[in-house]
Amino acid sequence: MSLIEVKDLEVHYPIRSGFWNRVTDEVLAVDGISLDIEAGETYGLVGESGSGKSTTGKSIVGLEKPTKGQILYKGKDITKPRNRHELDYNQDVQMIFQDSLSSLNPRKRIEDIIAEPLRNFAHLSKDDEKLRVLQLLDIVGLDADALYKYPHQFSGGQRQRIGVARAVATNPKLIVADEPVSALDLSVQAQVLNFMKKIQRDFGVSYLFISHDLGVVRHMCDNIAIMHRGRIVEIGTRDDIYNHPMHIYTKRLLSAIPETSVEHREEAREHREAVEKEFQENQDRYYDKDGKVLPLIAVTDTHKVAMPQDEVDELQREDD
Amino acid sequence: MWKTILRRLLIIIPEIIALSILVFLLAKAMPGDPFTGSINPHASLAHIHHLMRINGLYDPWYQQYWNWVVHLFHGNLGMSYEYQEPVTRIVGERAINTLWLAVFATVMTYAIGLPVGLYAGRHQNSRSDHAIRIYTYVTLSVPFFVVLVLGLWIFGYMLGWFPTTGSINTNAAPGMGSVISRIQHIVLPGLLQAFFSLTGIVQYLRSEVIDATHSDYVRTARSKGVPVRDVFRHHIFRNSLLPITATAGYAITGLLGGSVFTETIFSYPGMGLLFVSAINYRDYTVITALVLLFGFLNMLGTLLSDIIMAAVDPRIRIE
Amino acid sequence: MAQNDNLEKKSSISAEDLARLSKEAEEEATPSSRKIIWNEFKADKAAMTSVIIIVAFILFVVIASFFIPAHDYKEVNIMSYFNKPFTPDFWLGADSSGRSIAKLLIVGSRNSIGIAIGLTFISGAFGIAYGLISGYFGGITDMIMSRIYDFMIMLPQLMFIIVLVTIIQNYNAVTLTLILSLFQWMGTSRLIRSRSLAESRKDYVAASKTSGTGNFRIIFREIMPNISSLIIVEMTLSFAANLGVETGLSFLGFGLPNGTPSLGTLMANATDPTNITQYWWTWIFAAIEIIVLCLAVSYVGQALRRAADSSQRLGME
Repeated sequence: MSLIEVKDLEVHYPIRSGFWNRVTDEVLAVDGISLDIEAGETYGLVGESGSGKSTTGKSIVGLEKPTKGQILYKGKDITKPRNRHELDYNQDVQMIFQDSLSSLNPRKRIEDIIAEPLRNFAHLSKDDEKLRVLQLLDIVGLDADALYKYPHQFSGGQRQRIGVARAVATNPKLIVADEPVSALDLSVQAQVLNFMKKIQRDFGVSYLFISHDLGVVRHMCDNIAIMHRGRIVEIGTRDDIYNHPMHIYTKRLLSAIPETSVEHREEAREHREAVEKEFQENQDRYYDKDGKVLPLIAVTDTHKVAMPQDEVDELQREDD
Repeated sequence: MWKTILRRLLIIIPEIIALSILVFLLAKAMPGDPFTGSINPHASLAHIHHLMRINGLYDPWYQQYWNWVVHLFHGNLGMSYEYQEPVTRIVGERAINTLWLAVFATVMTYAIGLPVGLYAGRHQNSRSDHAIRIYTYVTLSVPFFVVLVLGLWIFGYMLGWFPTTGSINTNAAPGMGSVISRIQHIVLPGLLQAFFSLTGIVQYLRSEVIDATHSDYVRTARSKGVPVRDVFRHHIFRNSLLPITATAGYAITGLLGGSVFTETIFSYPGMGLLFVSAINYRDYTVITALVLLFGFLNMLGTLLSDIIMAAVDPRIRIE
Repeated sequence: MAQNDNLEKKSSISAEDLARLSKEAEEEATPSSRKIIWNEFKADKAAMTSVIIIVAFILFVVIASFFIPAHDYKEVNIMSYFNKPFTPDFWLGADSSGRSIAKLLIVGSRNSIGIAIGLTFISGAFGIAYGLISGYFGGITDMIMSRIYDFMIMLPQLMFIIVLVTIIQNYNAVTLTLILSLFQWMGTSRLIRSRSLAESRKDYVAASKTSGTGNFRIIFREIMPNISSLIIVEMTLSFAANLGVETGLSFLGFGLPNGTPSLGTLMANATDPTNITQYWWTWIFAAIEIIVLCLAVSYVGQALRRAADSSQRLGME
């Protein structure tokens, strides 16, 4: 059984306007998505900004109130605050934020920041708690002298590691990582990602890894869902997505991964332009007349894509 | 914009209802009854009860409230116990005096505040800017009434430049003479009020001008060779002026609030002084009318400012 | 403790290291931002002097007022009717009832300052809570609370206070302070709400929510410390303003009950045309005291604001 099941999740924000300030329209931030996250895996959720990936992540940790749909954990729908409370849900599901500075309370010392979830869920003695915090700091590679310092005294990478330490403090089953490295320098990105991997090996935690960058996701994720306009356009294993992309939007995202080798610079640029041209020309075949993403169709057991059946067949013939 | 204004107008309706209920409840809570002083003090208890009953004073409160509102709409605010005259007439006479004072103070506020604020912004960190900042610090810290008393003492009594009480000299010749006498009585309290209320304008303009001076569009204009004076006249001044005019409505609220002090200290027969004496005489009908009127005027003032704001500045829209 | 075991396997740190490591950490501890603001403030000599003078003055009037028996400022003494100031028995003269202005000033200061302090705390606490809650929850809660606020600022507050004071027959300093607080919280709440609104959108609040911290704990333990410097500045400045509230009301004759000295009732001597010119000593000392006190307190407030701003520049907020 999956660790967490998201079923037909919808998050709509009302747009108020007009004379009476009535709800006249809705922003369909998340417009009916489903995914299953298995224990111990890293699940990638990829899309451009505004695609609804962060909103999905926030709904899963309980920060956002869905308009419709269910999120099942241990057989209970945790979109209901009462169920979250009964399960001590956030002991098991934690979050790492994109902006490491704003996600750490500037007025609190590192000890108090990391101990916050422990104080709410674990109820340890004072000494045990402090020991635990020291161990957590050690795990993310920070010295004990960080204990009584404030967030602004650390670099971005160090702060993100503090964020990771807080997230793993209660030994959760799932951590939603919302663009955890996109605000960091490239060299620091790798460092933090490696810590996250190490922690996964040590603790067996699952990640929902939210990113706009398919390059980063490739190194982290087992399964990947590509989101666009509030819906999933393609979902599958790493192999499905990187080696057999079907949806035009996925291809576009893949072509946008920065190429590091200088020799192939021209080729990469031409490829990018070709994909972009194809996207512009064939867009209407992949989206309905309102610009919405089409329903998902199963290609293989693991691979689903949002495009018409005949297109799928055609592509498969080409592949064979 | 029209929608915004219309919506703002509609918001005022529940506010007026809430205000009237609050004032009505206050009026009910005041000790005594409406017949105090108007009937024979030797009337029997039974007779008083009878009067109370036929006047609806044993009705439930909402019934009484409704009757009261109906009377209000007919302009019937009751009789003043102290003056034995309709409240509307007494308040009306005083309202004109308060109005004169408020108009003078408002004119003075803008006449002094605009140039001073612009000057302070243009000559940031100069000696006069420094003096202006000390002035704003003092007016923001020291209670209004203390300065009024000192002003009266120094300019009214010690220097004898201005009359110290009333709104007109009773011996003033009719016609031009009485107008001059009225103005003489208004100058000192009006200036002192202005002295306090222009602080906001000065502070606002000063920081606006300083911000604008460092803004890109002014730098561009300057680098194109537009003379400093023209930049100030055409860009900064115009941009800062509209929001300033919008504060006129809020200023009404401030002036009315201050009128109780100003008029008491200068024995100036306006609504503020009337209110204090009505309280001292327990003249409840007058008190009720004045509280209601002041609340209503405050609402109109903020309404006015909000509407000007909405009309002037597209960024400000009521949510 | 299964989780703990898991951790211990992965970390080289064990219970034996605890004491040593926490000692090391303490040596490296960073001073709190409050301490930094305090250090900034201490460097401002003029502001420090103001604080010392204000505190010393308040202590003086509170202690001295204990040594002034009530009949000294309640009873009429015809012999010293309008005694001139700067005489051995009456340093600051006497009023129309022959009571010593100096003694009235001391007791009056204690009463007025006491009410101003009470008012600052009560209306401040309410305004802070109101603004924090309104800004944090947002949505419908904020809308309703903002409407109430809008309504309150439109009331003719001074008139309402005066009417309430006349309606309530037996009131004392405490009830007066409460009545005044009813109409004095709005300025604070407006200021706090806008900051609370901004803070509540920050990720550390979301992090606290996912850490299982409750709403009210987040409001008062996470967000409030982040705006504490604003609160301190605002409270100081509103203390200066509140000194004017009770004195103004007493000046009009609606403040403390009759026979209770206040700076306002001393000022009220100036409403009499002969007092204001001929017997100037009956009111002018109160006027000077109010002015100096208000200027000093708000000077401190502005120095605190500067200190908070510069500690912000140092990256504390």
